[in-house]
Amino acid sequence: MSHSHRSFSSLVVLWIIFSFAQLFLCCKCLAMEKVLVLGMDGLDPQLLEKFMDEGRLPHFKRLADQGGYTPLGTSIPPQSPVAWSNFITGGNPGTHGIFDFIHRNPANYLPEFSLAQAEPPGKSIRLLGYQFPLGGGGMKLMRDGEAFWTVLEREREDVSVTICRMPANFPPVEMRGNALSGMGTPDLLGGYGSFSYYTTDPPKDYETVSGGKVYVVYPLNNQVKGILHGPQNSFKVAEDRAPIPKTEVEFMVKMDPENPVALIEIQGQEILLEEGGWSDWVQIEFDQIPLLWWDSAHGMVRFYMKSIRPEFSLYVTPIQVDPARPDIPIATPKEYAPQITKAIGPFYTQGLAEDTKALSGEVFDDREFLIQAGIVYEELVRHFEYELSRFEKGLLFFYFGTSDQCAHMLWRAMDEKHPGHIPDLLEYSDALGEIYEDMDAMLAKALEIADDDTVIMIMSDHGFGPFYYGFHLNSWLADEGYLAVKNPYMRGKGEFLSNVDWGKTKAYALGLNSIYINLKGREGHGTVTSLQKEALVEEICEKLLAIQDPRNGEYVISKAYKTEEVYMGPNTIKAPEIIVGYKRGYRASWATSLGSIPEGWFEDNVEAWSADHCMAAEELPGVFLANRPIKLKDPALYDVTVTVLSLFGVKPTGQMIGRNIF
Amino acid sequence: MFGSKVKLDKELLDRAKRISLVAGYASVEEFIAHALEKEIQQFDGADSEEEIKKRLQGLGYIS
Repeated sequence: MSHSHRSFSSLVVLWIIFSFAQLFLCCKCLAMEKVLVLGMDGLDPQLLEKFMDEGRLPHFKRLADQGGYTPLGTSIPPQSPVAWSNFITGGNPGTHGIFDFIHRNPANYLPEFSLAQAEPPGKSIRLLGYQFPLGGGGMKLMRDGEAFWTVLEREREDVSVTICRMPANFPPVEMRGNALSGMGTPDLLGGYGSFSYYTTDPPKDYETVSGGKVYVVYPLNNQVKGILHGPQNSFKVAEDRAPIPKTEVEFMVKMDPENPVALIEIQGQEILLEEGGWSDWVQIEFDQIPLLWWDSAHGMVRFYMKSIRPEFSLYVTPIQVDPARPDIPIATPKEYAPQITKAIGPFYTQGLAEDTKALSGEVFDDREFLIQAGIVYEELVRHFEYELSRFEKGLLFFYFGTSDQCAHMLWRAMDEKHPGHIPDLLEYSDALGEIYEDMDAMLAKALEIADDDTVIMIMSDHGFGPFYYGFHLNSWLADEGYLAVKNPYMRGKGEFLSNVDWGKTKAYALGLNSIYINLKGREGHGTVTSLQKEALVEEICEKLLAIQDPRNGEYVISKAYKTEEVYMGPNTIKAPEIIVGYKRGYRASWATSLGSIPEGWFEDNVEAWSADHCMAAEELPGVFLANRPIKLKDPALYDVTVTVLSLFGVKPTGQMIGRNIF
Repeated sequence: MFGSKVKLDKELLDRAKRISLVAGYASVEEFIAHALEKEIQQFDGADSEEEIKKRLQGLGYIS
């Protein structure tokens, strides 16, 4: 054999070995492409470490020991819509344009929900007192920036992706895989959850109860008649200047004369409930045009027979969009919601379904709130088990909100320093620990289906801190001369900044962390020029950091972020000028969030909503755990985005500012 | 200016003057402009303050 022949043979052998090696590595690579990300809203590092140290979270501990655990840098401000949008886009609020739960219309200063807004309907024709839309209308996701799973699907057509209940994704962005929307999804009335309560024993201040409606009823011959108020009749033409009429469905409750049992009759359905019992989901149709079936709005509710005698009290959940026949886009593809329903039964579709407002409004007590939150959680578990059972490879993201909503409400039970704490609550002092154990049980389910090549990540969007005191930010701005009050005698009255003299106002607060400069050319009645803005922002920030609570001498605000310095991206221009970073224990007061200007600066928070995270980002990091070693120091939410893409060999796009954590 | 003049019933104008003083408006013109703006919003299809409030109140973060 000649020398050249031998060389050729050697090359062929090398090529074959190289090809096999490539094939092996490729198979190995494909086998590793099973990535499971669990989003646990508000999971707090201090509490997690405490419960891990107590041996209560064996699966979290195992994950932390096997791979790694670290606090996770949150967003500025640490509000869920902002934080999850950082994760979704791999950027910051300058990228995605979500700065707070509440934004404002600069033209009229009215508040708006930041995540989604209704689009105006198109033209319509009128006939016999009804209007028939010819198109347009619907809901619009207000988040900008490309979702990371859009990038993943574009770059890797072979990867299957499922995104379950991701916040800030309503309506869900179009994709090849499956997505169910989460936080930001409204109830059938278009709001963020409004319960109905029919009672002979209304709670105090029931006429102004927030997040629901209380109806006083009068039983007659052991029967109670009620009306369930549905969505606005979009086909009905409002007469003159009257509001658009609402759809409604009558129901009857027949009480057993001797036993604590009642029968609810509604739209031909009969539901028998014992006192203290919850019904299953009951489908309701709200007819908009009589005798036409195709115009109905499809909802569903659960009834809770709180008490029958001596007082009658019936709670009805906010009317959910029926996932078996959704009238608004809660899933993509649209068949995905009915598919889940078929597999696990009907479920809460609104975002943040734990009825915190029923507890705050004294319609629920703490025990009842935990039962209702338990119903929400059980539905999440069933959905999660369903997704795990069919998860073979690709990316699965699944979100749990229980850890967040329960922390908001139950903190006062374990914190004896809290102004809202009462000794009776000690019974629930460990309830939050039990919620963390539930999250550990979810992780256990994930670990069960994971093989050696599956990457599992747990992440939370922010941590938690007590909400002891509310700070009236607009009142402070008024007293410092930045906000002019129109009528000083009416200072405590009115919302939506209705008592503000805009012609003399330089800055105002709306939402939970935001201060806006009343800028000429942007705001409806702006007074501050862009040349004056920077010095004004500087001055207000300095003063914010110097505020002390006279009752205990503590500083109230640990950070005053100038958004031009901490945000980058095309939406920075729309941001509030200052994000207020409260110290742990303090938050914007209830009056501040919707633009009221009460007397004084401080109030004790005695509400059931007793903990929060709308504080300084540095005070409340989230958590990150994975079954892979964590190499990046001080990772943040946007780093998780880049890490997920890297696991599939996809490079970050230009909008992404994160780095690979592994 | 001719274009900005609107005729009002004297009794209605007197009532508007009284209320604008009580409510702290700088002038009756400011009060009437504010009232008109609110009405026009309804016809423009904008949400009423009450509707906005109802929708937002489901959020636990606000009251």
